[in-house]
Amino acid sequence: MLNSGRLRIIGRRLLQAIPVVVLSTFIVFGLLKLVPGDVAVTLAGDNASEQRIAEIRELYGLNQPFLLQYGSWLWKAAHGDLSSSLISNEAVLTSIQRCLPHTLLIVALALFMAMLVGIPLGIAAATKPGSWIDGFVMAIASLGVAVPNFWLGMLLVAFFSLQLNWLPATGAVSLMKDPWASLSHAILPAVALASGGIAEVARQLRSSLVEILSSQQVRTLHAKGLPPSSILWRHGLKNVSVNLLTVVSLLANRLLAATVVVEAVFAIPGMGGLIVNGAMNRDFPVVQGVVFTMVLIVVTLNLLTDILYSVLDPRISS
Amino acid sequence: MKTIDLGKQTLRRRDILALMGGAAVTGALGLPAWAQEAKKGGVLKVAAPANPSSLDPATGGAGSDHSILWTMYDTLVEWDYETLKPKPGMAKWAFPDPKTMVLDITTGIKFHDGTPMDAEAVKFNLERNRTDQRSNVKPDLSSVDAVEVTGPLQVTLKLKNPDTALPAILSDRAGMMVSPSNIKALGNETDRKPVGAGPWKFVRWNDNEIIVVARHDQYWRQGRPYLDGIEFNIIPENATALRSVVAGQNDMAFQLPARLKPVIERAKNLETVTSPTLYCIQLYLNYARSPLDNVKVRQAINFALDRDAFVKAALNGLGEPARMTLPSSHWAFNKDVAGMYPNNPERAKQLLAEAGYKDGLELTIGGYMDQDSVRRGEVIQDQLGKAGIRLKFTRGTIAEISAQFFATEKKFDLLVSAWTGRPDPSMTYGLSFDKGAYYNAGRSGEPELSKLIQESRVSEDLAKRAEVFAKIQKFTVENALSAPLAFQFELDALSAKVKGFKPNLLGKPKFENISLG
Repeated sequence: MLNSGRLRIIGRRLLQAIPVVVLSTFIVFGLLKLVPGDVAVTLAGDNASEQRIAEIRELYGLNQPFLLQYGSWLWKAAHGDLSSSLISNEAVLTSIQRCLPHTLLIVALALFMAMLVGIPLGIAAATKPGSWIDGFVMAIASLGVAVPNFWLGMLLVAFFSLQLNWLPATGAVSLMKDPWASLSHAILPAVALASGGIAEVARQLRSSLVEILSSQQVRTLHAKGLPPSSILWRHGLKNVSVNLLTVVSLLANRLLAATVVVEAVFAIPGMGGLIVNGAMNRDFPVVQGVVFTMVLIVVTLNLLTDILYSVLDPRISS
Repeated sequence: MKTIDLGKQTLRRRDILALMGGAAVTGALGLPAWAQEAKKGGVLKVAAPANPSSLDPATGGAGSDHSILWTMYDTLVEWDYETLKPKPGMAKWAFPDPKTMVLDITTGIKFHDGTPMDAEAVKFNLERNRTDQRSNVKPDLSSVDAVEVTGPLQVTLKLKNPDTALPAILSDRAGMMVSPSNIKALGNETDRKPVGAGPWKFVRWNDNEIIVVARHDQYWRQGRPYLDGIEFNIIPENATALRSVVAGQNDMAFQLPARLKPVIERAKNLETVTSPTLYCIQLYLNYARSPLDNVKVRQAINFALDRDAFVKAALNGLGEPARMTLPSSHWAFNKDVAGMYPNNPERAKQLLAEAGYKDGLELTIGGYMDQDSVRRGEVIQDQLGKAGIRLKFTRGTIAEISAQFFATEKKFDLLVSAWTGRPDPSMTYGLSFDKGAYYNAGRSGEPELSKLIQESRVSEDLAKRAEVFAKIQKFTVENALSAPLAFQFELDALSAKVKGFKPNLLGKPKFENISLG
């Protein structure tokens, strides 16, 4: 799978990732400094005086020039040190190592559900366009896009946790510690997160599959006497796989962002809570650390997608 | 569902006093299980609203830290739950003369690491609190000139000026004693590895996730604590916190907004606790510049506000209308000025006309983005609108908006926010209205008021101090230096097995009396 062409792609992509990381963390750092509000005020506490706030700025190096502050963060980050939270003093790397698995688990589970449900729905709709199945699938898809995931999350909790008591309402457990408990905590948030994804996968798959199935190529296959099932599976789906991959990889990136709200609803101590708390308090090492990690994940996901493209469609390899 | 409800409507002073009297007879605020012997053991799971700023009392800053800090740190002085009158904690105090405070420490107290809690330890702590670069409580101890060890268990504080607020101050962060050996060994790391002398010792803290504390077997109070441990699950979203209690994943959630009261009542097996607090929702005024430098405009705002309606509309009735920065159950409440600003939009218009705003005026106001703040803002906007005061709102995060109002920018004429209360009223008035104080956005101040604030710290006698506070309140209310709206009641949801919980006037729960039935 890793021929020299692909290795070149990987190498190039990794090099491209460096400016992306630098630029995005720089922009976020700049935004944090531009918006009003100051971590020094938070640090100085409830009885702060102006003099004390100035003292804190001095003590934590917050009065240094903007570029110097960013430069020293970047320098440390390049050496693997993501600094510590200005407020709580926890090492940012420790926070991320703890929070990231929770977020990745629900995103992965949501992505899996979106495909598990979305693909069959899309196929069912595409094979009989205009039928009641098609109408039904498209109605579900519209609903899935329209329903906000935090609201769906609350409904799910009300029914499955508070009413039936089947699944926990809040919190998260590490997958390493107790896989079963971990999954049972992740199911509801993943379903809430997946609803929009199911809809998107089904719709996109349907439209590209309908296009393929009505193409001249497929008409020829019919004329050749190939059974419809073999046309669908061997020719239809193979042709839409690249489109599907695009949809799924975009979806993965979007789900990573969407977890912020879902994590709040389910009290999951993930990356969303980390960055929200950090941004609220202007705790920039935390925000920078999360952005840094997320950029790396997105870059990796995109790289993975590119490699898969060339596997699915050899014409893309160069 | 069982309800301990102190505030069906809005409480008046005499209602609260009546309740207090009743509480004195039954021993607590009407808690039924109080008389029974508390059961030992069990781990209490609590939904806590915020990640602490630090677990070192000296370096932290957030008002939400206290409930967690008190589990690990005992204080030199404590207070009465209902009135916040100071009472001995790990030490008894005396003022042999106005500029000397003597602390006599209880024998046999040990920190979690075995270090004795003696005079040397207290001196170490107080010196650190008033001089260390990272200490946020330096201003609290600014009246202390020197700390001397005058016996193995006695510390004498030499004061620069008389300061009878010190007992209350030593019931707060400044009086939380940290193990000196821990600080010497760990330095800044004590933020995350705290060692105190409280009923529970620190086990674990994962940011934004969980804090665990476990019983301190050598705790100095015999038979205490009841609980083997406490798990604080940090859930900032309060509806989610309540859901976790309804679902049985947590045993208790505290400091919930009033709008969630019906949800608690609908849930089976949950107990509702409501109780008055010092948490005062109010309009902060920048009275150093036009138009709020005109006392008539400030008074007009106060006349325009309908506090009873505000409590009903914005707090679901779970509050006490605020006439000054202290609630009616506080020992320093001045009832003589309480009736100064009845709701009277006509009088407000008249005052505005006298100030030269015949057709009303427009004021800029800052507010926060959360659901409850927005609702409060809408009620205020409506009430002031009836008197011809039009509000132009800017909303943002707490950090952003409060910095814009209080720090150097001086944006907005008004800020709708809250005063979270302090153990001693002199702190409240000093921090809010004194010249140059941070929470006095305009920084201007009357020498008369500064003098009174200093005077309030001279006598040790609460009755005499209350007289000075009466003058301070008269000054701040007559000059309308702020527009207090309502004291928010604490709202907590408890599962049926939580016994012995008592709310306090500070509105920051302590867990020392809780047992699991």
